[in-house]
Amino acid sequence: MNLQVVYCNHQTAELDIRERLAFATSDQLSNAYEYLRSHFPQTELVLLSTCNRVELYTAQESQDDAPSHQDIAHFFSDFHEIPLTDFFDDLLERTGPDAVRHLFQVVSSVDSMVLGEPQIVSQVKEAYRTATEYEACGPLTHALFQGAIRVSSRVRTETGLTEGRVSIASVAVGEFGKSIFDRFDDKTVLVIGAGEMAEETLRYLSNEGVRRINIVNRSPDRARALAERWPGAQVHAYEKLEELLVGADVIVSTTGSEKPIVSVGQFSRIRRNHLDKPVFILDLGAPRDFEPGIGQIDDGVFLYDIDDLETTCEQNRIARGTEVERALEIIDDETDRFMREIYHRATGPIVKRLREQWHDISQTEVRSLKSKLGHLGNDDLKAIERSMERLVNKLLHPPLEALKDEAREGTPHGLLDALKRLFHIKD
Amino acid sequence: MVNVNVICFLASYSVVLIMELMRLLGRSPVRRTIMLLFGTAGFAAHTLYLMNRSNQANLPPLLSSSHDWLLVLAWISILMYLFLTTIDRNLAIGLFVIPLVLFLIAAAYFVSDSSMPVLNVSNLRDAQQAALRRWVMLHASLLVFGIAGVIVGLVLSLMYLVQHRRLKHKQTMQRGLRLPSLAVLSRWNWWAVIISVPLLTLGLATGFGVAFLSDEAVPVSMADPVIMIYGVAWAVMAAFFAWLLTTRRPAGKQVAWMTIWAFGFLLVTLVGLQVLAGSGLDSFHAGGTRDSSGLV
Repeated sequence: MNLQVVYCNHQTAELDIRERLAFATSDQLSNAYEYLRSHFPQTELVLLSTCNRVELYTAQESQDDAPSHQDIAHFFSDFHEIPLTDFFDDLLERTGPDAVRHLFQVVSSVDSMVLGEPQIVSQVKEAYRTATEYEACGPLTHALFQGAIRVSSRVRTETGLTEGRVSIASVAVGEFGKSIFDRFDDKTVLVIGAGEMAEETLRYLSNEGVRRINIVNRSPDRARALAERWPGAQVHAYEKLEELLVGADVIVSTTGSEKPIVSVGQFSRIRRNHLDKPVFILDLGAPRDFEPGIGQIDDGVFLYDIDDLETTCEQNRIARGTEVERALEIIDDETDRFMREIYHRATGPIVKRLREQWHDISQTEVRSLKSKLGHLGNDDLKAIERSMERLVNKLLHPPLEALKDEAREGTPHGLLDALKRLFHIKD
Repeated sequence: MVNVNVICFLASYSVVLIMELMRLLGRSPVRRTIMLLFGTAGFAAHTLYLMNRSNQANLPPLLSSSHDWLLVLAWISILMYLFLTTIDRNLAIGLFVIPLVLFLIAAAYFVSDSSMPVLNVSNLRDAQQAALRRWVMLHASLLVFGIAGVIVGLVLSLMYLVQHRRLKHKQTMQRGLRLPSLAVLSRWNWWAVIISVPLLTLGLATGFGVAFLSDEAVPVSMADPVIMIYGVAWAVMAAFFAWLLTTRRPAGKQVAWMTIWAFGFLLVTLVGLQVLAGSGLDSFHAGGTRDSSGLV
């Protein structure tokens, strides 16, 4: 039994190469599986393609049927019409336990660009589902990918690798916003400015159910362009800023202004009649858009600037980093377990056949003895039969133990072949 | 009958508190398993102890003595803790509940473990005795559930202040120390006050019913120190309750602080009075000095 992976990822290849090698659409995936099935009919295949990696897992019973590193590289080259020399050095190969360990690391997000990011699990699940849909999976890849999903769940449960958020917008919404409010669908969000950070924050807020979005920007065109991408978002004149500040529960500010656009005095006036209402302000501008003193106006104002959020991101990154070692221990443990199961599966049929063959011989001998020695009673024959069984078991014990020992290190192809030849065991 | 004593569950809950504190070091399934095992074992021992005491006194735990009464409060708190911890592994409620439970159990050590004199009078007719028991049971039940609400409010307010402080100081969420949002804590706290104060009021009112019914057997004075101080504590609670109902959308932090002051005052007063009543305070509620054999 053989397992391999040929891959490139964010550590081995530049983004432009990854982009060119990616299988971004369902048509591309469909064609890829068609190509691979026709060229490697004896091989089980799973293709994993995300923005950070392109990986092809292959598995087959016989080493002779395994596509080589070169074969896979040619497939990428032919399929995407890219010269082999452009990417061959970026393609790596892992085989056997190393390939298993690699997948377990990928699915556990140990190998991700953002350590502990959660999307990779669903991406691996999706890749496995697609391969199954195209009937490209077999017993080995089923076992491998189901094992991988179990490993990711174990790593997530037993370590803190996926805990804590590590991007500015996710920290803002997930760690702070959701600790203030329990729901966002009844909240009014005011976006000041129309930059990328505003959009990313809106994406997280939108996932939490935000529906009322007001946008103000000095350039109405950019505000309208942003509003078009968010259903229910309304664009307002910049002059209405103070009025909109009064009604906002969440304020996201990302202007490029050189001076603060909201002063302590101005915000104190706004809060005078709304001390009971919490307001969550994300000042993502640099320089800051809200004077820092605004956070001290009253207990209901929660003001965070880009440095506060970046500090939290960094702390979470460090915390995740400390969990990597524990995650790797789990992965090693699971890899050993998986390989043991696979090797057991590989040696199982030979062991079974060898036992059957020898027991058949012993039964034949007992029957022959019975016909030759008619004076023997049933008890005598049973005693002889038991002795023969014990003899067979004792004779089989050393070779089977040797096989078991060899299987701890990998599939014992040599020993299996020797057993087949010595005892005439046919596949 | 299984021989269980207070030390059994006090020790178990102490281990649970240590495991809860170890949350701050990171997540560990082993720690959580130990925590739940000790919590459940302590709870089982706690339940057995109350059942044994109840059988010995031939009275429900709420009536058998102030000692048992405080242990019933701790029992309800642990039940809530185990339920919430089981359904949400990340919720750090134990850090707030377990110290209160240990405080109640420790306080139970110092209070009387004899039943109230009003339940031991022999010069009442059977019908009167039965009616009196029902009133005392109602009085004790309402007060215990009201005080359980007070404990919930206290815990929620403490959690609110910790969460508020974290958010104001822009601190990262400590690993394993997840708390509900301010909005949730604030809303639950409001309900804890709204439910517990009427229960305490009814508990106090039924107390007057008990005093009335038992008056000919055990005369009760309105100048009884326990009744008077309870009255003051109740007045504080009632004022807080009225403020909460009449203020439109009060600020969460203010409510949390007021809850801590009002509920904390009530809890300390209540436990303090039980301790004093058990050590010779001249009161209708005094059940005599405690018998140390209850602990062993």
